[in-house]
Amino acid sequence: MSIAGKRPRPNPIADDGDELHFCSTCAFSDACLSQGYGKADLRDLHVLVEHVGPFHEGEHIFREGDEFNAIAAVRAGTVKTYVVDAGGHEQVLGFHLPGEIIGLNAISEARYPCNAVALDTVMLCRFSFPKMALLASRMPGLQAQLFKLLSQDIGKAALLAGDYSADERMAAFLVALSRRFAQRGFSATRLHLTMTRTDIANYLRLAPETVSRVLRRLQEDGLVKVERRELEITDPAGLEALARVVLRN
Amino acid sequence: MAAIPPFDAELLRRYDRPGPRYTSYPTAPQFSGNFGPEDFARAARLSNDDPIPRRLSLYAHIPFCFSPCFYCGCNRIITRDLGRGETYLNRLVREVAMLGPLFDRDREVVQVHLGGGTPNFLGANQIGELMESLQTHFRFSDSADRDFSIELDPRFMRPGDIEALAFIGFNRASLGVQDFDPAVQKAVNRIQSVEETMAVIDACRKHGFRSVNVDLIYGLPLQTREGFGRTLDTVIQARPDRLAIYSYAHLPQLFRPQKQIEASQLPSPEEKLGLLQLAIEKLSAAGYAYIGMDHFALPEDDLAVAQAGGGLHRNFMGYTTHAECDLIGVGVSAISHVGDSFAQNPRDLPSWEAAIDAGRLPTWRGLRLEEDDVLRADLIQQLMCQGEVDVRELEDRHGIDFATYFATELGRLPPLEADGLVEQVDGRIRATSRGRLLLRIIAACFDRYLHQAQAEPTRFSKAI
Repeated sequence: MSIAGKRPRPNPIADDGDELHFCSTCAFSDACLSQGYGKADLRDLHVLVEHVGPFHEGEHIFREGDEFNAIAAVRAGTVKTYVVDAGGHEQVLGFHLPGEIIGLNAISEARYPCNAVALDTVMLCRFSFPKMALLASRMPGLQAQLFKLLSQDIGKAALLAGDYSADERMAAFLVALSRRFAQRGFSATRLHLTMTRTDIANYLRLAPETVSRVLRRLQEDGLVKVERRELEITDPAGLEALARVVLRN
Repeated sequence: MAAIPPFDAELLRRYDRPGPRYTSYPTAPQFSGNFGPEDFARAARLSNDDPIPRRLSLYAHIPFCFSPCFYCGCNRIITRDLGRGETYLNRLVREVAMLGPLFDRDREVVQVHLGGGTPNFLGANQIGELMESLQTHFRFSDSADRDFSIELDPRFMRPGDIEALAFIGFNRASLGVQDFDPAVQKAVNRIQSVEETMAVIDACRKHGFRSVNVDLIYGLPLQTREGFGRTLDTVIQARPDRLAIYSYAHLPQLFRPQKQIEASQLPSPEEKLGLLQLAIEKLSAAGYAYIGMDHFALPEDDLAVAQAGGGLHRNFMGYTTHAECDLIGVGVSAISHVGDSFAQNPRDLPSWEAAIDAGRLPTWRGLRLEEDDVLRADLIQQLMCQGEVDVRELEDRHGIDFATYFATELGRLPPLEADGLVEQVDGRIRATSRGRLLLRIIAACFDRYLHQAQAEPTRFSKAI
């Protein structure tokens, strides 16, 4: 139901593809086209590229141990990946924003090694294939391309390794988010944080109270402005300076 | 906003119609019985999840009064049995213990308010127990600008009470006076001497209370310009930091105690407006700033300072300096506002008691705000506190095109503009200086529920 006067939320993720053409901002198109696979070719190989969803907040997209048969690009919303340790505690692995791909870490396995859950209303583009082995044998070039995407993904997690202060980790987290949003055409300075402070804390290996304490400090220092789930980076240069030791660029 | 608005009797008379005071939007009548304890618990959980969760404001309702004031429309229980206070306190403490765990421990309490009824129906040591229980289950801020306030009936203060309350942590008080005129006091059954009132004000100042408020009412039976004028002079001489001048609404069908008031003894509408005008003239001459609705404050009081700085807020406790807090209400009829949800406790004591005894949160009804509610609440909040709305800023915050979204509401403004209440200028919708006495009338234009309700009766009558 559209309400007169309500501005549609701008989403730079396009929805302009069809049977024969990838959407203009498709996350898979480069990998596929570089190997000579157009949409029609994929269909012939029983690889489906289809828009699925909505997944509602709390709904799982896949669970650890599920048979691996698809990767997916986020088109709207945020997905959280996590594992549950032997003690039953959740460990957040990462957050996936529009334009980013989930399931990549399963690409050399037969099963998903983690859980993926929607943090808000999530729309996906699912890239599915009948059998993992098919991808390896019929489209090795494509598999290699997807491996490349995976290694970029691992790079994102680097900020967790290393002995950094809470302020540095938080700054790095925010700067990384900002860059990822900007890369997809979203605002680099106005971030909508769909993840809870517990999730952020878990991901950064901090206590939830510390997350808030750090953000309040950053706010007092004029680097950010936080209101409910909206975070505005008011001093991008200042925040980058703080994050530099972690991000190294 | 600070200067006291010009008094336009004709305008005020024309708009002297009942309506919501917008201590919340949506207003309490919109709360639904479908909203229960699990919904409140969920709202609390969600509110903990913000990157910087909001700080907390606690409200406790003490419904007991020793003596019935005939004008009163509040939720109260008349009794002289102090044991009832003790029994009530025991359950209050259990309710606090249920609520504490729902809120993350690092969320500081920056505001506490005790209202009623008569909070000082409880003894100072009992109030101390309540505060101790709150402090056990919540983390109190130790900041100098924390606001711990209590409503007091000066007639029932015991020696040493104020000192004890200050020791407990209270730093602000609100006193009921209404009118010192003996004839009026007799007619409303509230006999209260100037001496006992001043003694309480003096004690508050002596023991470091940063702000004292006095409540007055105009429109009471047998009130005259002379009598009310003397009351105003006496009160102003004591220089309270804040004053609230309420209009008496005679609705004996709704409020049974008011049946004891002789309608024939009430001032006429013109006389009543004259009393308001008198109050406004005297307060203006005495240097008071106008906050909004019926509230005045000295320019150096926190409320006036907050308003000047854009930090004024309005909640169920009226105007307040602490914007951006989640409000937790305990006790009979108390209302909470957590995240985008409202929750209210039962208004009758037995239902509240039964829930506590069953180990359940006593949530009776409430509401989870939709996007449209949040938008309108923001708009109305700005109108009631700043007297104006910045249209472009509202558009940005909520992702709307104001002129399209509020086309119908904007259509309600021209008659108010013609009457000189409101103007649209510079991308703002602003109350004029005389319109600032009628903020709720302007706010009502944007109240979706008010106009839905008004639309429905017509449909029914047409069907017949």
